[in-house]
Amino acid sequence: MLSVSINEVKFKGINPVRLLLENIKFDLEPGKIFTILGKNGSGKSTLIKSLTGLLDKKFYLIEGEVFFQGENILKMPEEKLLKLRRNKIKYVFQDAANSFDPLKKLKYYFDNSAGHKSDTELLLEYFLLPVQDELKKMYPYEISGGMAQRIALALALLANPKLLILDEPTSGIDSAIANLMLLKLKDFVSDGNSVLLVTQDLIFAKKISSKISYLADNRISSFSNPDEFFKIKEYSDPALLNFGKLT
Amino acid sequence: MTRLLSVENISYDVESSKDDLNLFTAQGLHFRISRRKDRKDLLKNISFTIDAGETAGIAGESGAGKTTLAKILAGIMKPNKGSIKFYPSLKTNKQKPNPIQILFQNNGEILNPLRKVNQIVEEALSINLKKMGKSIDLKNVPEKKEKIFAAVNFHEILRDRKGFELSGGEQQRAALARILAAEPELLILDEPFSSQDPESQLNFLNLFKKINEDFGTAMICISHNLEILRQLCSKVLIMYRGEIVESGPAADVLNAPRHPYTKYLIKAEEYGLSFEELKHMNKL
Repeated sequence: MLSVSINEVKFKGINPVRLLLENIKFDLEPGKIFTILGKNGSGKSTLIKSLTGLLDKKFYLIEGEVFFQGENILKMPEEKLLKLRRNKIKYVFQDAANSFDPLKKLKYYFDNSAGHKSDTELLLEYFLLPVQDELKKMYPYEISGGMAQRIALALALLANPKLLILDEPTSGIDSAIANLMLLKLKDFVSDGNSVLLVTQDLIFAKKISSKISYLADNRISSFSNPDEFFKIKEYSDPALLNFGKLT
Repeated sequence: MTRLLSVENISYDVESSKDDLNLFTAQGLHFRISRRKDRKDLLKNISFTIDAGETAGIAGESGAGKTTLAKILAGIMKPNKGSIKFYPSLKTNKQKPNPIQILFQNNGEILNPLRKVNQIVEEALSINLKKMGKSIDLKNVPEKKEKIFAAVNFHEILRDRKGFELSGGEQQRAALARILAAEPELLILDEPFSSQDPESQLNFLNLFKKINEDFGTAMICISHNLEILRQLCSKVLIMYRGEIVESGPAADVLNAPRHPYTKYLIKAEEYGLSFEELKHMNKL
């Protein structure tokens, strides 16, 4: 479904060019949830942004290819990219509350979403959120972080994407709501879609993932299934090693 | 009767309590918010006690009123009903000016971004000395400062940096250093582990354990991360919809929960809940 072969991502500022990622190669198959683990600052967010040209070309050099449905995304013109990100590959970023424009009521986002009213209502009910008419009256700063995260995910799902990319979906939300997300995402991939997520939540990763890999020192390990992944003994990350021993 | 409290002005009950170990008692705390015509009881009849040097954890989901409770316990907010009694330790003759301190959830706003960490901690130390009626002996400050920085593993290079130059975890350790300067007897931690990677969480956990052992500081840790509470706290309180539904020794409550909500939380931690269970608990 998505075939990634990125040789290098570099950051060029006023300082000397800095290598952020190298030799990133993986394929995302349909019907599966892929998870990338890694510490703070290891480049997880940069990686997922590099997949669909979300990194500003003024500052970042990307060398490689990302194929989606037979086309190289990194060569697409901006307009086509926008369309792709609007319909087929949807993102939900960390700190979803900041993805909304604080000056626009949520009505704006619901009115512009692709979903039918009844679908929207069902999804909101699923995520234990207030009904649409009530939410529409609110400004983004009036809702909690956990609510924003769920609304952002609901809006992304309403577009019926083929691939959903999530950055730290469980950060700042309690485990019951994260549980709800887990069930929905499993449901989503059972229709032949895919999910790529980056997280630090090891239990979440273990429970949700079809395949897991680890990003460290600019490189990504190959994807393996959760049981195998946590058996590996040579992690430099003590938390990961500890977790592997416990499970 | 409502007891007026503030961080600066805790009302002391200096007489020794019935139980010599008792450090802190919350009795029947009630807090109500009114927005427009809506009224909601955020906290209902919260009562518990903390012994000197004890570590207690408060768990519950988002919106259960945990942060409000933390603020009330720290004296920043006033409850509508109920009382808080604090029995300072009688070991020291002088009462400490600010024996209860709170460490907030890190959102990048807990430190002055434009001041050096060194200055921030020095100032806190001087204020504390001044309030305790001691002359500010500048000779004493560096020694104390060194001890505090060592306790929070704060490297020398970082001490001359300003708030905005620090990462989230470093900011939180700097904030903790400032708090320790007040030599608290009770430290309230509000979600201290949010937005940290598992390795930093482990480091922080060990840090709090060390502070508890080295300084004998009692702690109330508020978190939705049960694993952290299991490792840090000797006692836990489970909050649901503004009430404490279960409490007791951490090992008992978290390994053999009795209340359905505690069972639910533990299952949620393992991501083992079904949709029906989730829906049921949220509709009750």
